[in-house]
Amino acid sequence: MAADLVLTIVLNGLTLAALYFIVASGFSLIFGLMRTVNMAHGALYLIAGYAGYAVFEPLYDQDVWWAWYAGVAWGVVVAAVVGTVMQKFLLGWMQGQELRQALVTIGVSIIVADQLLAFYGGNPRQFFAPDAIFGASAVPGVGNYPTFRLVQIGIAVAVGVALWVILNKTKLGLMVRAGVDDREMLAACGVNVPLVAIAVFALGAGLAGLGGVIGSTAQPLSQGMDGRFLLIALVVVIVGGMGSITGTALGAVMIGLAEQIGQALFPTYSVILTFVIMVAVLALRPQGLLGRATP
Amino acid sequence: MLRITDLHVRFGQAHILQGVSLEVADKPIAVVGRNGMGKTTLCQTIMGMVKSAEGAIEFDGTSLVGLASNKIANRGLAIVPQGRRTFPSLTVHEHLKLFSQGSNKPWTIERVYETFPRLAERRGNGGTQLSGGEQQMLAIGRALLLNPKLVIMDEPSEGLAPVIVDHLIEVLKQLSAEGMGVLLVEQNLKVATSVAETVAIMVTGRVATTMSAAALAADDDAKRRYLGVAAGGHH
Repeated sequence: MAADLVLTIVLNGLTLAALYFIVASGFSLIFGLMRTVNMAHGALYLIAGYAGYAVFEPLYDQDVWWAWYAGVAWGVVVAAVVGTVMQKFLLGWMQGQELRQALVTIGVSIIVADQLLAFYGGNPRQFFAPDAIFGASAVPGVGNYPTFRLVQIGIAVAVGVALWVILNKTKLGLMVRAGVDDREMLAACGVNVPLVAIAVFALGAGLAGLGGVIGSTAQPLSQGMDGRFLLIALVVVIVGGMGSITGTALGAVMIGLAEQIGQALFPTYSVILTFVIMVAVLALRPQGLLGRATP
Repeated sequence: MLRITDLHVRFGQAHILQGVSLEVADKPIAVVGRNGMGKTTLCQTIMGMVKSAEGAIEFDGTSLVGLASNKIANRGLAIVPQGRRTFPSLTVHEHLKLFSQGSNKPWTIERVYETFPRLAERRGNGGTQLSGGEQQMLAIGRALLLNPKLVIMDEPSEGLAPVIVDHLIEVLKQLSAEGMGVLLVEQNLKVATSVAETVAIMVTGRVATTMSAAALAADDDAKRRYLGVAAGGHH
């Protein structure tokens, strides 16, 4: 295989990994740190996509240069608000009851998908990136490559750095980590733990929303994306390790590369490669590559 | 400061607290008793970590019953729990940073480090890399940083080396001298009677009797009956 083709495949894998990381990091945050099983994470992706598009489309028609940015911002806000409402009124009640939370959030995602279908219909939608990040850039060894996909990698790196700073350098991050260790003791030290949980949930949901708009710029937004991205988030987090941001990044890169390499080498069976990786990790290191073993 | 009246706690069928009445004023008070008498449950119930079945808990004139733990803590109560319960994921310094209320309060991060110099040496170490004594210092520092009006200490001397126990006694006396209320639950009679002038003895979920520390120290019969301590008083 030619070197430039190999490099292109790798770059494709990395850009896909960037999108997977953005979506999965929110899932990892909620699942790994708050132990809340949010099976509606894909639904949040979908909500943000449609909500963002509703703001983007009229602005784009008027040729406003910030149409896409407004769509991103609105998608993130709507997803974060929906996440907050879910945590406050549905999931906060059943803290620690993982099966119940899983069933409730599956119910939520079915309702959301049907309502979005009823409201927006089944036509796929796609955002157009603003001129500044549209078009192609020259990448050494690859040639021309879509600029937006490179930006996607930049956004994922920014998200990763921001999450690391939040978790390690801010009071909220300290509260979250202490809450994972011992919620009861954290509350006895004067911290409003349910409020911290809502903040984390809003942050995780907002990341699903960011993924929703970015993902719907790179590829069309349509029904069924919720299930697809929920599954990807699950696989990435299982491979990388729950609650570890670095692990999520590693998992996303592995899954993104595996998908692209698989499609190039054996297109028919490429889907299997993803699950082979997951099964291998589960068999050899059940807590995930960088996950902490639970005693 | 803290007034507990006829407090009952049940875990299913088990009747753990069977009508505890206790009053904590400005002077430190110690609660002693054998294992399983309900001392830890009493501490946790005051902090709202365990729900009471009936009875009253009043702090500075307002009821604490039914309040969430964080609200109770915000009213000026702090706990150093049994088993320390420091957070393994946080380093020593992160613990203190998380609960520091600013430099204009009596207890600051610097003061915790001055009080427990060992913690300053271990500031970058994670919660799991600390010895029992260091974890205890950290748990105490964490509680003090909340600048509580009353601090509840559940067996702070448990598992500590004698030198550290002596240091602990000094710290507790100092806190009390500065006006902080102290409710000290102890198995170690020496610590209890050194810090507190009044000792409440718990037997099967009740305060069986309250006596002065001096009287308890001299009463071998009471020690044997309530605490299972042999005459001679080694513990």
